[in-house]
Amino acid sequence: MLELHDLHRSYGEVAALDGMTFTVPAGRVFGFLGPNGAGKTTAMRAILGVTALHSGSIRFAGAPVDVAARRRFGYMPEERGLYPGMRVLEQLAYFGRLHGMTAAAARQAGAELCGRLGVAERLEAKVEELSLGNQQRVQLAAALVHDPELLVLDEPFSGLDPVGIDDLSAVLGERAAAGATVLFSSHQLDLVEHLCEEVAIVDRGRLVAQGRVEELARSGRPQLAVRVVGDDGGRWADALPAGAARASTRDDGTVTIALDDAALADAVLDVARAAGRVEHFTFQRRRLSEVFRESVRRVPA
Amino acid sequence: MNREWWSSTLLVAGRERRERMDARSYRITTLILVLAVVAAVAIPALVGGGNGASKVGVVGSDTAALTSIVRQAGAVLDERVKVTAFADLAVARAKLRAGDLDVVYVGGRELLLEQQPTDGSGDDKARLAGAIAQLARAPARPLPARAQALPVRGLKAATSLSTRLTGMAIVILIYLLVFIYGQRITSGVVEEKSSRVVEVLLASVRPSQLLTGKVLGMGVTAFVQVAALLVAFFATATAVGSSLLDGAAIGVVLVGALWLVLGYALHCTAFAAAGSLISRESDASNVTFPVVLPLLVSYMLSFGTIFGGSPGTFFTLLAYFPPTAPVASTTLYATGDIGLVEVAIAAVICVAATVATARLAATIYERSILRTGARVRLREALRATGGT
Repeated sequence: MLELHDLHRSYGEVAALDGMTFTVPAGRVFGFLGPNGAGKTTAMRAILGVTALHSGSIRFAGAPVDVAARRRFGYMPEERGLYPGMRVLEQLAYFGRLHGMTAAAARQAGAELCGRLGVAERLEAKVEELSLGNQQRVQLAAALVHDPELLVLDEPFSGLDPVGIDDLSAVLGERAAAGATVLFSSHQLDLVEHLCEEVAIVDRGRLVAQGRVEELARSGRPQLAVRVVGDDGGRWADALPAGAARASTRDDGTVTIALDDAALADAVLDVARAAGRVEHFTFQRRRLSEVFRESVRRVPA
Repeated sequence: MNREWWSSTLLVAGRERRERMDARSYRITTLILVLAVVAAVAIPALVGGGNGASKVGVVGSDTAALTSIVRQAGAVLDERVKVTAFADLAVARAKLRAGDLDVVYVGGRELLLEQQPTDGSGDDKARLAGAIAQLARAPARPLPARAQALPVRGLKAATSLSTRLTGMAIVILIYLLVFIYGQRITSGVVEEKSSRVVEVLLASVRPSQLLTGKVLGMGVTAFVQVAALLVAFFATATAVGSSLLDGAAIGVVLVGALWLVLGYALHCTAFAAAGSLISRESDASNVTFPVVLPLLVSYMLSFGTIFGGSPGTFFTLLAYFPPTAPVASTTLYATGDIGLVEVAIAAVICVAATVATARLAATIYERSILRTGARVRLREALRATGGT
């Protein structure tokens, strides 16, 4: 379990971290979301000790994070970094050994990971000879090679093809199932929704929402999606009961309706049935992207 | 600095060493340098022929007496002589011109050299001719045994031309190796910064470990190369029986080797700190110039001291100033202007300066290594409080 508590860090006038607090549970794939400049990268760099905090504390497995603890972390920075002239397997073995592995174990783990991530044939190639996508896979292997207890990955999926995304998703899922804590940032919200059990959304250096994806999807006002055959303008919904309000109308006539209370659904159904044959009537799950937009909505100046 | 600190540091050093020594360019430069040393040692010894024995031709009626004088002169100078008698002066002169003879002794008349000696001291040939001339004044009496054993002592240590040339070769080597390996340290640091691999590294090792490992690994690479050169020097000198092995030259080689180590140790951390200030390879020469400047100045002044007469006060002071001491102290030892005591004093000062430089460089490195983009100003790096 990773605990971030009241992190503060500013660059000149700009506060990159402004009291950010959240907890990442062990054994789950945890998504770290937020608009550009929200402080995600600064927070991740602070966890790895490559950015100094002005105040706040970071604890892992109940203890403050120090150099020894960081040897059990795996990190993929936003700005990728490998030795361009070094061979893939040699490089992975080097990173493994820096984290305390023996040479033989590090080489074996590196070769296995390259197999999992689809770069098994390039073990003896120099990193600079690889395509960007394959460099990315090697970078991931470098973060994973020592089987870390905490994985901190900054945009690990950006630049990967769908096969790479599937491979990485599978590896992250396995690591979490084996008890590791996995924190990764991403802007690909559909992917996050699919892969993560839990997310934290940050904005302007602070946490604005956190929870299990399932709960966030059901949070907020309940929404109905209703379509009445033959009414492409959704005019039947002009006369909704009190506490129900039209949110939007799609081109096919499906009307989304926000309810103050889920119990109002029956009354809405009565109105719809009175207008014609009801073809579609469901409670609508909010997409993660909607939760995200709502959470980080800017107040106009 | 416990075992755990060292294990990561040595890993960093090992990677650095492997990366450099596995490169083909490293093997090629080592080979070229070794061949240069072999040639520099072997060619003078082989071309000079006779292995240091001076060849003297004698012309005159009493060949036995003349030969005896030449041999005595050789004994006084502790030089081997090979005497050949000529009936015809013209033949002897021709041999002298051709370089087959070093000195021609014309009984009762004169001593001939191929070239007029430039000053009183002269080279080995002129000294031999001078000694013969002295002994020729009293040719009748054989020299008493005691007289032959009288030691000849200079007020300054002997500084033959070969010793000075050895000193010059070593000064060039010190300058080149500190300069070349220093630049490589800088570009290695910049590469880690520009490829951003440093962020991954610093997530698991401390900046001090990265810095120490880097200069150690590079140092091992440099000293393997120097060791190869020393082995080549001694092996070649032994094989051809070079005179470099018996004289003061060997001392110059050993003092030079000491200064090479000290010079590298003093400069290496400064080169790393310079590299941490920048993010682009193209800025490297700007930041390394101040680091190599003192060394460069002492290097250029050293030639005048080696070939000129007495060193000036300024150059003598440079022999104690740590950044210039590696070159200046080696030079003055080779010219015989300072002895081992002065070298030891300068070395102690240099070691103290090395420790201070390493501390300062580590501070600059730690504060600058994660700051990418614009060049970090030195004042900023020294003042900053947890910059990144």
